[in-house]
Amino acid sequence: MIKATRKPLEEISSSVKGYGRILVLGCGGCTSVCLAGGQRESLELADDLAQVARAGGSTQHQSSATVERQCNPVFLAEISGRIADCDCVLSTACGAGVQNLSDAFPALPVFPALDTLFIGVDIDVGLYEERCRHCASCMLAYTGGICPVTRCAKSLFNGPCGGTRVDGGCEVGEGKSCAWLEIHDRLKAQGRLDSILSLRPPMDWVDRGPATLVQVGYEGRYTAAKVAAP
Amino acid sequence: MKTTATKAAPVNAEVLDLVRRRRKLVKLSLGACAHCALCAESCFKYRNSGQDPTYTPSYKAINTIGKIVKRRGRLSPGEYEKVRELAFDKCVLCMRCRCPVGVDLPYLISLARSACREVGIERGYLEGKNA
Ligand code: SF4
Ligand code: SF4
Ligand code: SF4
Repeated sequence: MIKATRKPLEEISSSVKGYGRILVLGCGGCTSVCLAGGQRESLELADDLAQVARAGGSTQHQSSATVERQCNPVFLAEISGRIADCDCVLSTACGAGVQNLSDAFPALPVFPALDTLFIGVDIDVGLYEERCRHCASCMLAYTGGICPVTRCAKSLFNGPCGGTRVDGGCEVGEGKSCAWLEIHDRLKAQGRLDSILSLRPPMDWVDRGPATLVQVGYEGRYTAAKVAAP
Repeated sequence: MKTTATKAAPVNAEVLDLVRRRRKLVKLSLGACAHCALCAESCFKYRNSGQDPTYTPSYKAINTIGKIVKRRGRLSPGEYEKVRELAFDKCVLCMRCRCPVGVDLPYLISLARSACREVGIERGYLEGKNA
């Protein structure tokens, strides 16, 4: 899922400075799971902002609510009543949720309370690791289920850079292991080393506009006018 | 669903408001449910549960928001706990369930989650229940 972390309180409070009634809107999806923006965290943020406001002698009022997923308009419709009662919204969803909220209520100032970091896995409660950079051309079939784009510091496609440490670490340090050594070792153990012996062409990193996905089988449902090609 | 004998909590104003706003829709939707259980096959949680009937989307809707609406939000903490289990643990709100009659089951379950949140109940992510 998407992993995110709360912005520094000073940055958040300065973005909503000057607004009288603030709604801190939590997301019940990914940012709940990574303990950054669910119900508990949105309540905590509203409390923290109230303390900042009190300390600064401001009469600003904070409240909080949480919707299932801010990236789905069905769930946003549920809070239109609360939206009508506030001057701005502080969203604890990922960047996609913040934008969806802004698009759903274009007259309303919407501010992000989180920094969206990565797509990752849950190692333990409160501990997450990045695993995918959604490159749109997945390599995992050739690389033993280990992503070279994400886990190699240089996102190399055709083997290690030559800086692999004797202990198997990556030369950039930070306690990270060399992704290409891991790829090699796993494929060797599976008897599939041939899968990295042929050269892979470079990734097509060409700039493009925001992508749209129409899932296979749903083509007839969406007209060309509604959805631009990816 | 079997109700517990625990005392019903005082009704929460926000839940009451939700019940007022959505009462008609919930009653109409659940009234239209033919109890055919065809929705069950479209739910991966049901299919992965060894076909446990309490994972059937219609069962989850009826025994969560259906119950909340019927009782106008007056559920005991023990009953809310059962709603939480159905709406959060037994459903991931993937919105894939399909009802041949057109009942919007995920939306109904999402209303139950909203009611739970209003009384301070949600999934225990802190305990690591991330599945
Ligand atoms: S808005 Fe973002 S954080 Fe919330 S469920 Fe959607 S993708 Fe996840
Ligand atoms: S290659 Fe890596 S970054 Fe690209 S889609 Fe696969 S896992 Fe994600
Ligand atoms: S939304 Fe819930 S009930 Fe419907 S298919 Fe997904 S998990 Fe099953």
